[in-house]
Amino acid sequence: MDLASMLYLGVTFGLFVVFVLIFMHTYSKKRKEEGEIAKYRMLDDD
Amino acid sequence: MNQTAYDYDIVKSFVNWSIVWGLVTVLVGVIVSLQMVEPALNFPPYLTFGRLRPIHTNAGIYGWGVGVIFATFLYIVQRLCKTPLWSPKLARFQLWFFNATIIASAITLLLGYTSSKEYHEMEWPIDVMVVILWVAFGLNIIMTIIKRKEEHMYISLWYMMAAIVGVAILYLVNAAAIPVSLFKSYSAYAGTNDANVEWWFGHNAVAMVLTAPPLAMFYYFLPKSTGVPIYSHRMSIIAFWSLIFMYLWTGAHHLLWTPVPDWIQTLAMAFSLMLIAPSWGSVFNGYLSMNGQWHQMRENYLVKFLIIGITFYGLQTLQGPMQAIRTFSAFIHYTDWIPAHIHMGTMGWVSMISFASIYYLVPRIYGKNLYSIPLANLQFWLILTGQLMWSISLWIAGVLQAGMWNAMNPDGSLTYTFMETMVEMYPYWWIRVGGGLIYFAGVVVFIYNLVMTVRQGEPAVTTESAPVAGRA
Repeated sequence: MDLASMLYLGVTFGLFVVFVLIFMHTYSKKRKEEGEIAKYRMLDDD
Repeated sequence: MNQTAYDYDIVKSFVNWSIVWGLVTVLVGVIVSLQMVEPALNFPPYLTFGRLRPIHTNAGIYGWGVGVIFATFLYIVQRLCKTPLWSPKLARFQLWFFNATIIASAITLLLGYTSSKEYHEMEWPIDVMVVILWVAFGLNIIMTIIKRKEEHMYISLWYMMAAIVGVAILYLVNAAAIPVSLFKSYSAYAGTNDANVEWWFGHNAVAMVLTAPPLAMFYYFLPKSTGVPIYSHRMSIIAFWSLIFMYLWTGAHHLLWTPVPDWIQTLAMAFSLMLIAPSWGSVFNGYLSMNGQWHQMRENYLVKFLIIGITFYGLQTLQGPMQAIRTFSAFIHYTDWIPAHIHMGTMGWVSMISFASIYYLVPRIYGKNLYSIPLANLQFWLILTGQLMWSISLWIAGVLQAGMWNAMNPDGSLTYTFMETMVEMYPYWWIRVGGGLIYFAGVVVFIYNLVMTVRQGEPAVTTESAPVAGRA
């Protein structure tokens, strides 16, 4: 495997890790209420 | 309660102009469909199928589609951020520059100036105009988000930002060209690289113009219309990020069975199939948001447009990945199946959501009740009937066409000549004309209803969330 291929593989793996982290952050039990606030706030009139 | 002074004048202007371009695209669409069945209706050199077809597609995507994006984004960003626009003057400049760009595109395409790249036909001076226009729009939206008074960012804002950044990258990369005169340039890429970049742009224009923005509208206008929140904000966030991570790899499914490297085709095929998950994440979120509210499908004309719109999105995003499979693609590619697929997305998904968004906006920004709910319902059925006639007839035509192209005699020669396959298409093409005319009638009813709303609609005392005469 040449350097370019290793780089592509690294970027792909890195992106996958970033996605997993986003998933874990969004669905963490601690953030359950926080993650849903926006859908109620958008219905508020000002 | 403090009332924020929102700028609705610019929203009104973009609504009006997007409707003008929407009417143009449907009208030209009907004309080119007639030219397919009556070649005598081609009047060279300007009014031929070859020159009118890109006017139809570009007026549809950039005039109607992007026009509605401008109108709705400039409204939604103010409401979700609870702050007025960062620069109303920049938005006013954007309005006139938008129309200048669309008019310049139409004139140059009629004159035959084209880069020959599908959905990116305009020559380099208009590319420059598009970049200026998008920077003005993007800057205004992003700066408004930055100075927002609402801490929590609703999912629509995420889709809006993705669309702004995505279109900027796609357009700049695909527009790279070497000008040789005022109206002629040559692509900076060559051969299969050019094709690969073009369809990376082409398919992701679908993502960033015809998917992310309508989703932003859907997620905003559905709960506003029903009065209840979406099922899951967190699910919408995951669907968003999945879409962002997956979409950009799928463009090469337009190039299956071509000299583009095999691994790129396989990659595009795999990511296209994976894309079902985020797409249906949004579809399910929409359906689950209707729990206990399904009666509104009968009672609220806005909900009818929105739910049928997201249903078309679901069908589109199931059919699309199927078409991206090599064996299926080998059968239906280059047949009439493909425009049927595309028009389910544009006439069904994108336009249904756009009609609903404008129906929601007009009564609120003009402070008047909708002129006629029965007319809105009539338009819904005209649009739905026209769309289904259009797509179903050409799906059948596409399968028939593919079957005839692939039919072989025992000695290995083709069973049918190309002309014989063409002749078989005529009945289906006439049905397409009929579907287009019915759809056009729906657009005329839509415009009449809105004009009468502005002229004669009863003044409405309304809040943002309460439906304005939204009950049938």
